[in-house]
Amino acid sequence: MFLSLMGVDGHVSQGPWFASVLTLKTSAPLRAEPKKKKKVDPRREQMVRERLKKKLKKLERVPPELIPIEDFTTPAKYMDETRVRGAPQLPFEESERRALLLKEWSRYKQTQHRAEMEAVGLAVEAQREALEELRLESEELYQAALRPDPLLFPFNHQGPSYTPPKAQYEAPEGKYNNITKVYTQ
Amino acid sequence: MAAPCSRMANRPLWQFITNVRRTGLKHTGVRQISLSSACRAATQTRSKTEGVPSPWKLYGAVCLQRLPVISQERNPIEDQFAELMHQMELERSLLSDHEQRLLEDSERMTRKQADNYDSDEEEADYGGQETITAQDQEDTWEQKLKHFQPALRDRDVGGTPLGSVERCLGDSLVLLVQQTVGKETIWLLPQAQWEAGETLRQTAERGLSSLPGQLCGEADFKATFLGNTPCGVYRYKFPKEVRTERCVGAKVFFFKAFLSAGSASQKEPFLWVKKTELQGYLKPPYLEKVDRFILNL
Repeated sequence: MFLSLMGVDGHVSQGPWFASVLTLKTSAPLRAEPKKKKKVDPRREQMVRERLKKKLKKLERVPPELIPIEDFTTPAKYMDETRVRGAPQLPFEESERRALLLKEWSRYKQTQHRAEMEAVGLAVEAQREALEELRLESEELYQAALRPDPLLFPFNHQGPSYTPPKAQYEAPEGKYNNITKVYTQ
Repeated sequence: MAAPCSRMANRPLWQFITNVRRTGLKHTGVRQISLSSACRAATQTRSKTEGVPSPWKLYGAVCLQRLPVISQERNPIEDQFAELMHQMELERSLLSDHEQRLLEDSERMTRKQADNYDSDEEEADYGGQETITAQDQEDTWEQKLKHFQPALRDRDVGGTPLGSVERCLGDSLVLLVQQTVGKETIWLLPQAQWEAGETLRQTAERGLSSLPGQLCGEADFKATFLGNTPCGVYRYKFPKEVRTERCVGAKVFFFKAFLSAGSASQKEPFLWVKKTELQGYLKPPYLEKVDRFILNL
């Protein structure tokens, strides 16, 4: 029985239904039809993937939406007409007084500016003279004076306030809820 | 060799000019003209570089300024202008929420007092709530303001001594000390003599830290020096009796510094003065040079 089943090379000769244990278990349909789908499917999948990528790129090319500047958009409630204050009717004296005051103010500011510029000019001149004299004295000290000071900046100073600071003042601690709108692009 | 020769030629010319200028002015005084090692060292360094000893003694001084702590009072014109600006802004503005509420309340009152008052209609709009009128709120706010005590601007009502840092808080003050220069004790910006091996800025820092108060540990000035460059120079010649060939006079180089922290307990001989008060303490030629770089801005 065994010998009759075995062919010359070990092929099955008797039909597909009586295959030996040692041979490949291939069914008839598998062996018979050629597999065309194996070539087309990866191509099709690739095409689909490329189309998706192109669509994504087109979407990304759109410039990002600009963050709105909230200070530049007047809120709707201020466009209401009922809020408009009546235009004041100034008497002649009042308008004259205002005009004269504005002119005097401009004169005052001009003198202030000139004085400031002069003061700065004098200070610069004084420094130039100092450097000149120093150079005459010693070149080494002069070069040392010209070197910039790396420890000076960042320079912080608390400017003048309306009332002087209290000695040993403890600021009260507290929580706050920050409700500013944060935009992401 | 050309450079040193030209300097030698120029030096006597300048000395002549300054001599002519200074005949009318009083000398500030004289330092001890002992040829100390410092002077010798200075001359040695000079001779190394140029072969010519400098006849000027070098000093580093510090112009320590306490910047204003409170804002200045307004001038009358500034006051008037501020008021005018406020008024003009008010005129050009829109009505605020509070003002609208005031108007609405007043309208409602007039409507209530009118003959054909329909209370149902009104209450339908407002839901029958007990509303506090805006005018009532304003009144309560005004009452609160009357009870409020703002902090005093000027802690000193003309009582602080000249030596205190807490003087005129609205102006910038400059530190003056009394030092013996030659034979006299005069008020001047703290200075120290230059020693070889240090820059002039270090001399100025030493001058500040070696003040009599600092050495005892009473006064402690924390100053931030504004760079390595001197802001001014004062050159003076010693009176003829003390002048020698080597030391003709002295040059004082000033450095600017801002006071970052200072202790309150300070005894004499410190003095914190405004720019306008400097005249009462400094000698005229000294003041002339110092006035230029002290800015009152």
